[in-house]
Amino acid sequence: MDTLFFISIAIFTISYAFIVSEKIHRTVIALSGAIVMIISGVLTQEIALKHIDFNTIGLLIGMMILVGIAKDSGMFEFAAIWTCKKVKGRPFPIFFAISFLVAIFSAFLDNVTTVLLMTPVIFVIANNLKINPTPMLVGAILLSNTGGLATLIGDPPNILIGSATDLTFNDFLINLGPISLITSFSTALIVVFWYRKKLVCSQATRENIMRFNPRDALTNKSLLIKSLISIGVVLIGFMTHEITGLDGATIALGGATLLFLLTLNDPEKHLHNVEWTSIFFFVGLFILVGGLVEVGAIGNLAKKLVSITAGNLHFTAMILMWGSAIISGVVDNIPLVATMIPLIKDVVAITGMPSEPLWWALAIGADIGGNATLLGASANVVVASIAEKEGNRISFFAFLKIGLVTSFVSMVLATGYYLLKII
Amino acid sequence: MKSLKGKIHVSDYMRKSVVTLHADSTVREAIKVMIRERTNGVVVLDNKKKVIGILSSWDIIKHIMPDYLEEDKHLAAFESADVFEQRIKAVKEDPISKFMTERVVTAKQESTLMEATALLSQHKIRQLPIVDKNGKLVGYINRTDIKLAIGEVLKDNP
Repeated sequence: MDTLFFISIAIFTISYAFIVSEKIHRTVIALSGAIVMIISGVLTQEIALKHIDFNTIGLLIGMMILVGIAKDSGMFEFAAIWTCKKVKGRPFPIFFAISFLVAIFSAFLDNVTTVLLMTPVIFVIANNLKINPTPMLVGAILLSNTGGLATLIGDPPNILIGSATDLTFNDFLINLGPISLITSFSTALIVVFWYRKKLVCSQATRENIMRFNPRDALTNKSLLIKSLISIGVVLIGFMTHEITGLDGATIALGGATLLFLLTLNDPEKHLHNVEWTSIFFFVGLFILVGGLVEVGAIGNLAKKLVSITAGNLHFTAMILMWGSAIISGVVDNIPLVATMIPLIKDVVAITGMPSEPLWWALAIGADIGGNATLLGASANVVVASIAEKEGNRISFFAFLKIGLVTSFVSMVLATGYYLLKII
Repeated sequence: MKSLKGKIHVSDYMRKSVVTLHADSTVREAIKVMIRERTNGVVVLDNKKKVIGILSSWDIIKHIMPDYLEEDKHLAAFESADVFEQRIKAVKEDPISKFMTERVVTAKQESTLMEATALLSQHKIRQLPIVDKNGKLVGYINRTDIKLAIGEVLKDNP
């Protein structure tokens, strides 16, 4: 048992180091680590499969299919163009409108999907206004992370936490929604102030926006209606899941299936479009963490944490929140949260402290921490790489400055709200 | 019956004069040649005259088009009109090797017309550079040439 204990920690640490180094694709590393865990006898295949959280997997796949079909209707572009026209093409209001649309979309969609939808819109708007797109791109990155904090389905950490606990969609919305709103607002204000000189345009270029006909974005009206119905059903499903007892995977895959039925689309193309590399990353990760759990390594760590914090709830929560924020700023927050979940469960089991505040602390830290650096979250990397292709490089250090400022202010505000209202 | 009268090989129908460009040519040079030669497809050669790519006007269109618009089909109506000129100016000195089609399907002079037709249809392409055993360009066969061969068969089979 002792050797397995160390083998398990070694496999996990080496895999984690490779994931952080980004030399080899993280999915390949996670799967390799998982396979080695099983071959070396840390856990059997049967136990490994039990560690895979199929609710998370199903929820992710369902939402990916749903959005993959719905986005063909042009509804997201329509919303963005329509809002820009409503605010009469003025750059400051456009900045806020686009940033908050990103926050709202990413509260309900995957962050990467959201920024993939909104980055092209940002370029088109900036080209029409003849302004530098950087402020809006940075705003989109930052608010996709603060917006994702609001709901159970907004960010991978939240999906993982929601799936591992009995916290409901509404619990997330009530507890984290206000923090998401406050941090999104403070972040947008800082970005606008930071780039105020870049957000200036002439009356003539504003006319370009006023000439837009937002309906041109809606290329498929019948798909739009069917998509809105399916998304509506999914949202109602999530809001009522404490009454119906349905789990996230059932709701999301149900919505995806409903849209398949309504559109009679060929499922093959849309199933291809599921980001299977992300899905298999989760699968590998669950088994890697499962290996640590099986040999009792997570339990040991939990005991350490309890001895440091002396079982004090406030202290534990603050360590979790700020610790997760710092770590998520540097590395991907998904492996962090996947590891912290069994750890928090053990801490709660040892000390008997209430678990709910700890889950919120973890979600807040992991989601906001992603804003600190350009590598903090997948959405950041995606926007930066599109921007670079278009000759609008967002440099690591330029982003670091505004990322650190906005995420620190967000963390301070979140901590204040947390201490006053949650704990 | 031999409708093609023994003319069943690529060499019987290929053209020997081929419009070519060196891999280091720029967008500006490629467009100039394509307009002058009235063609939408050019064979790209390296220093040793080996075929290393095909450049079609399609490749140039895609290169000029910003990626973010290519990926989002709902936004074309909104893009600022001057982006067309801006993009052309931005990429005019780009070497064609950056965006040409690199996976080139080729045939040999002694290949049969059947093989050439099969290659065109399998790879959904419009032209086949014909190369010798060292990969050097010796000719070119396209849809029009195959069409002529089809015409020959039909002429003898009323």
